[in-house]
Amino acid sequence: MSKKKNSALDIAPSRRERKGFGQYVLALILLIYTVVCFLPVWLVFVAAFTDEKTIARNGFAFWPEKWSLNGVNAVLKYGDKLVSSYGVTIFVTVAGTFLGLLVMSMFAYSISRKDFRLSKFLSVYLLIPMLFNGGQLSGYICFTTYYHLKDNLWVLILPLCVTTMNVIILRTYIANSIPGELMEAAKIDGAGEYRTFFQITLPLLKPSLAAVGFMMATAYWNDWQNALMYIDTDKKKPLQLLLINIQKSIEFLLNNNNVPSSVRAAMGGTIPQYSSTMATVIVVIGPIMIAYPFFQKYFIKGLTVGSVKG
Amino acid sequence: MKDFFRNTWKHRAHVVMALPVFLILFFIMYVPMAGLVMAFKDYDFSLGIFRSPWAGLKNFNFMLVSKDMFVRMTKNTILYYLLFTSVGTFLNVTLAIAIDQLLFKKMAKTMQTIMIIPVFISYAAVQFIVYAFLGSNTGLINHMLGTNIKFYSNGTLWPWILLIVKIWKDTGYGSVLYMSVLAGIDSELYEAAEIDGANKWRKIWHITLPSLIPMVTVMLLLSVGNVMRSDTGLFYQVTRNNGGLYKYTQVIDSYVLNSILRSSDFGYTAAASLFQSVVGLLLMLFANWLVRKIEPENALF
Repeated sequence: MSKKKNSALDIAPSRRERKGFGQYVLALILLIYTVVCFLPVWLVFVAAFTDEKTIARNGFAFWPEKWSLNGVNAVLKYGDKLVSSYGVTIFVTVAGTFLGLLVMSMFAYSISRKDFRLSKFLSVYLLIPMLFNGGQLSGYICFTTYYHLKDNLWVLILPLCVTTMNVIILRTYIANSIPGELMEAAKIDGAGEYRTFFQITLPLLKPSLAAVGFMMATAYWNDWQNALMYIDTDKKKPLQLLLINIQKSIEFLLNNNNVPSSVRAAMGGTIPQYSSTMATVIVVIGPIMIAYPFFQKYFIKGLTVGSVKG
Repeated sequence: MKDFFRNTWKHRAHVVMALPVFLILFFIMYVPMAGLVMAFKDYDFSLGIFRSPWAGLKNFNFMLVSKDMFVRMTKNTILYYLLFTSVGTFLNVTLAIAIDQLLFKKMAKTMQTIMIIPVFISYAAVQFIVYAFLGSNTGLINHMLGTNIKFYSNGTLWPWILLIVKIWKDTGYGSVLYMSVLAGIDSELYEAAEIDGANKWRKIWHITLPSLIPMVTVMLLLSVGNVMRSDTGLFYQVTRNNGGLYKYTQVIDSYVLNSILRSSDFGYTAAASLFQSVVGLLLMLFANWLVRKIEPENALF
């Protein structure tokens, strides 16, 4: 397999075919799909900068009649809450991703050692959770009544930290892209197991770590379900839970006519539901959008799934 | 046996390195598996799962008592799985091939970058976007069409709405995996086919598609174990957990989440969970057995 075709995203020199009519049709179809994919994201950005009353009157639009910064300003009023939620989300994302990558790559490295007899058992042990698992309720009760982690940030970190699929991806990369001789050589030169792993394997694992790490970081960043089930204290609420709470409070205000007029007045006459929530959505999804193009190049190289059997 | 211990001792560094994952999986995956016995218990908050008294099959009564709801959510779960998996797989493969075929490589890369974006938007945020399109007073669709469709109280439309949201969110990223396979096809195969006079479509049919089959099989096999599990965010967040839509949108996972959040019906929920896990396991074993009969290479285990 030495003469592999280049990644489809690179310019493949071996396929210098003529760009016929078909190519333009294909390009057009893909372009339309791309635009359709992007429109909802575009709508978020436009709505965040649209005048509140314009949305209330004319509905959402891809191009507004009247622009406004009020929605963005309303978000800044969340101030403290937003900052602390950001802090929680960043902490959980960074800590969880690093912990997960470290333990999973150590595990993947260990079970890919060839004459390690226990690795058969460990592979099966890894695989079983993919076939059978306890489900949400059982997990919920274990975390709350046995591990006493309700309202503890660990409960946001641990459930997403190790997944069978990610270990398999890392193991595949070790098996396919890191020459075993390199590690043998390190051992002959007198490097211990830990040194071989940290100084030889881990640096070579970088493309896979980047891809898996980014997917993990996204999972942590976007996790709303664990937060909704386990987190009560305001200070420990991550961004996604803040977003859910905003929706709940809007619904509450809309459905309760007896909300004091002073509260409504304090919110600027109208309930700041449209533009400000969209501005909040931008604040929540923004960091991932910005980080993602830097990691994209690792996706194809680093996310190959090999044999699950090992 | 002695050999085995000697081998393990020799590899003690590897045992140590494997230990953290071993322990984490033990606590987050294996202990909850044991917790499924809860389905046969009269669960008491103060006693915990294992010390609560046995209740026999009492909890499973609800499958008969609330038969309609149980049948409905099981049906929804399975039908949505079939819909999403068939349409999703088809579109993922099609998109991967289309992008791979496009010779404007820079353009292909840019378009792919944009198509992947939705997968990174959480359902908590997607919910707001969907509302912007479908809301009855301010919704974009009603304004553009000049209609007054009440999406959030019209359940029959939701299978299609959810399908569109799912396609929008997952297709771009879903195709990446298949593109990694396409990137690995030996270009000599294409060249040889060209010399033999094969046109573009024949090359796709005889080289590209067959090379994707193992990956499609693996992905389908992996998903079969999750037939009974759903993308909770889609059914809980995007529908705004709207009770009026349950007939068309309630799946087992969203039922379980709701009962956790309300701390109610834990006994029934445990029975539903056990049902979910056992059916998932059986389907997975069956699918794997089937694949091994046809093409042993592609089986998971």
